Amino acid sequence: MNFFAFDWYFIALLLFIGFYAMLASSSIIRQLIGLEIVSKGVMLAVISAGALTNNLQLAQAIVITMIVIEVVVVAAGLALLVKNHRLSGLADIWKLNGLKG
Amino acid sequence: MDKGLLAYLLIPLFTAVVIPFAARRRAKLADILANVTLLAGLANLAWLVLRPSVIADGFTSVPGDGLSILLVGLIYLVALCVTFFSAEFLPEEMPNRSAYYSLIMVSVAAMCGVVTTSDFFTLYVFIEVLAVTSFALITTDDSRAGVEGALKYFFLTFPASALIMIGISLLLLTLGSLSYDSLRLVMASGIPSGPVVFGMALITLGFLIKSGVVPFHAWTPDAYQGAYAPVSAHLGGIVTKISGVYAVLKISTLMNFAEGMAPGLSGGIMFLGMLSIAVGALAALKQKDFKRMLAFSSISQVGYIILAAGLGTPLAIIGAIFHLVNHATFKTVLFLNSASLEKSAGTTDMEKLGGMEHSMPWTSWTSVIALLSTAGVPPLSGFWSKLLIILALWQYGFKTYAVLALLFSIVTLAYFMLMQKKVFFGKKSAASERSPEVSCALLTPVIVMSAVIVAVGLLFPYFYSYVWMVAERIFL
Amino acid sequence: MIYHTLLFSLAVIAAIWAVMARNLLTSAIMLALVSVCASLLLFNFNAPWAAVFELSVCAGLITVLFISGVSLIRASTSTTAEKMTYLKVLPLALGIFGIAAWFYLPPFFAELAGWKYTAAEAGPIGKVLWELRRPDLLGQIAMLAAGVFVIKSVFPKRRTVK
Repeated sequence: MNFFAFDWYFIALLLFIGFYAMLASSSIIRQLIGLEIVSKGVMLAVISAGALTNNLQLAQAIVITMIVIEVVVVAAGLALLVKNHRLSGLADIWKLNGLKG
Repeated sequence: MDKGLLAYLLIPLFTAVVIPFAARRRAKLADILANVTLLAGLANLAWLVLRPSVIADGFTSVPGDGLSILLVGLIYLVALCVTFFSAEFLPEEMPNRSAYYSLIMVSVAAMCGVVTTSDFFTLYVFIEVLAVTSFALITTDDSRAGVEGALKYFFLTFPASALIMIGISLLLLTLGSLSYDSLRLVMASGIPSGPVVFGMALITLGFLIKSGVVPFHAWTPDAYQGAYAPVSAHLGGIVTKISGVYAVLKISTLMNFAEGMAPGLSGGIMFLGMLSIAVGALAALKQKDFKRMLAFSSISQVGYIILAAGLGTPLAIIGAIFHLVNHATFKTVLFLNSASLEKSAGTTDMEKLGGMEHSMPWTSWTSVIALLSTAGVPPLSGFWSKLLIILALWQYGFKTYAVLALLFSIVTLAYFMLMQKKVFFGKKSAASERSPEVSCALLTPVIVMSAVIVAVGLLFPYFYSYVWMVAERIFL
Repeated sequence: MIYHTLLFSLAVIAAIWAVMARNLLTSAIMLALVSVCASLLLFNFNAPWAAVFELSVCAGLITVLFISGVSLIRASTSTTAEKMTYLKVLPLALGIFGIAAWFYLPPFFAELAGWKYTAAEAGPIGKVLWELRRPDLLGQIAMLAAGVFVIKSVFPKRRTVK
């Protein structure tokens, strides 16, 4: 099935977009969006690998657990973001240089 | 999963859920619950492993893989020191006191899950739980430095998680199962399987980023320096070890590096380890802040463990396990002492502190013992583990690596001698005039850990026979 | 095949829009669209359980979390504009990467597919989750407990006025 190679090509594009968003954006919320896009890409990679090797049940079990983890990680990231905004009034990650030594 | 050790995971989780309800009336009940749980677990482990009959027959009746029990014991010991220290250190009116103890209990449960599992995806799940609890623990107080450290830790270790998952999906494709045993079977059968090694290389790279080796160490100094003081001890003492270094060690025992499988991966890991030793030791020389200097020294010591793990021979694995245990003990002492210094003298700037031995004798002497052990001075424990690593390198033929490792150890020793003379001995500064010795409750965990450092150094033969038993069980 | 490629292209376009949009609410909505596309793809791969989970949790819960996060930091009414210079280059960078990768990646992946290891038939998903992956369920419980305590710790109930 040459589905696989094309699928993974698109997944590579999605991962590139996600990582680029994490590197190049200056607002923390946009970096979280990049993080989410990377997670989606990785989930599609796991299911695609499972579909090719007739191992879909294991792949689905993995993806369900990954979704739960991703929700809690995003919630923690947003909590940190709100606390940062309350303490310093900024939402710009490149301006965080209070700890230099 | 090692069923016998499941209780060590479930009981802290249960305590974590009970603490908010129990501490609603009296806040101090949270401290007592946390400490009692960890102490009970530690006593149980000591009964399992350290009975005279078990020691006498060479530790053969220790159940399961000896490595899991050793690491569970280490986790409980370090966490007990941190919770005991926090009972006195946390201010009375802290609003999130019960949440703090619950988070420490959940992180202890997650770490026990990491070391007792036998499957790559379960390892990933528990490491994510550990990371989430660490983010919140770093920002327990309302300081801007804390939030900055936590945000850097969050965004710089997430790519590592993504890499690990991509590696897991490659393993799912080419290996069909995600358990340790299936990987060991494939690598031991002598048929080189390129894509499996590529998947493992991605997973190893992810764990190397999470352990803070150079060149992925940008988050380490900020996370340690900005974290709330007892949390730095928890983070630097045990969390970064279990979340990154343990996995690399486990992978190197499964991948059979000693027989020449996957030479590229093995060489790459050793090179990154050596780079971490060098950069960590040299950067620690330039630091002015005590906690930041400790962070760079951590990077350097983790480099030794990674270097030995990359080598993969039985002697190197013994050295790596031993150095992991030792490093946890000395970094706990040093970070807890830096918290005491901060509470008492109000600063951790090494320029301003001087002659602390006159006013804080216990803190100074325990720090001196821990620093000497880090630098590798006999007969303390750090000397033996570094000796094992350098011997393993020399024996296998990597003579340049052995010489460089020895050289940087000497550089670290020289720097620590100079720094100790200035900060602890030497003439009294203004800071040492006004700082009294901290109270007994804050000193007890530090003294216990220093006693462990000295005892492991002096009782080295017993410890060596235990770790040798572990290595035998892993390799046979 | 056409359906697959179409869904993937839609996901990529929505992702680009999410990253490049100036208004953060638009970004959150576009992220929900990416989740919907991913969910439809999972249905097409014959993985219904994962698809339903993804649709309900990611396209729903995470979008709500993002919108509440955006409104809590009042990003739409803040005075300082966000620096978008590097983000405007995204289509160009993606184009370069896409064209360069077109020559190398598909053959690499096709070769990886040649190494595939077809597994034996496992049972239905409930059996796989409960029998084989029970430690993962324990991990999920620990994760949810950790999430609750993280929120309790970062936003404590203060007794006195700040």
